[in-house]
Amino acid sequence: RQVVDHYENPRNVGSLDRNAKNVGTGLVGAPACGDVMKLQVEVDENGKIVDARFKTFGCGSAIASSSLATEWVKGKTVDEALKIKNTDIAKELCLPPVKLHCSMLAEDAIKAALADYKLKQDPNKEESEKKA
Amino acid sequence: QRAVHPDRFGQRPLKEQSYSEQHSSLINKAYQTLLNPLSRGLYLLELNGVEPAQETDSDADSAFLMEIMEINEKLAEPKNEDSLEEIETLIKVKQDELTEEVTAAFERDDLQEAKKLLAKMKYFANLEDKLKKKKIPS
Repeated sequence: RQVVDHYENPRNVGSLDRNAKNVGTGLVGAPACGDVMKLQVEVDENGKIVDARFKTFGCGSAIASSSLATEWVKGKTVDEALKIKNTDIAKELCLPPVKLHCSMLAEDAIKAALADYKLKQDPNKEESEKKA
Repeated sequence: QRAVHPDRFGQRPLKEQSYSEQHSSLINKAYQTLLNPLSRGLYLLELNGVEPAQETDSDADSAFLMEIMEINEKLAEPKNEDSLEEIETLIKVKQDELTEEVTAAFERDDLQEAKKLLAKMKYFANLEDKLKKKKIPS
């Protein structure tokens, strides 16, 4: 039922300004089924996620997983959000085994968005890491 | 199909009828698989013992994923026939390009490259399906 609810009434659909320094954007795709998922987070100066949006093109489970993901990351710190596991998402939505990869995609999207945010905070670090 | 089509087995014992149905169905499935470049490519990978791409695409392919996102977003907008045609042409061109690249990859035995390209084709196949659905008047 939760899957249908998140599918019919997805929360937080939309976009944030990807050029803003405190916005992290994660764009991921599942090659097996061709689903694409974009997840964005807005982080305040205390490292807390204050807003999250997503756009997913794919099956109902993928949409529901990313919708739930945006709900869950709000209010968490970046480090707390990194701990969200696909198994938690799958369990919350009661996803069947064939749809577990959808929750994995959501977990990857969260991680990609947070990685992007971190990169933007410390471009010098990225430079030195690249040179290393 | 000429040999096994169920229409030719209507008068035969049930066991033969069942065989004819199974074989006929299998032949249809095989034909459809080989006809479509994506399924054909994936089947070739399978024959060569290579599993199709399973892991999430992310950083390395962000430009490609953005392109797919953009096309999806355009499709999601309520629009007129002309822009749908534009998108349809774009998708077809991309699919033809990818099919050529996949063929070349298989010809030089570059299975890993074929695998990557087939993953890209999957995204376009999905877009093609969505576009077809959009064209059906509701």
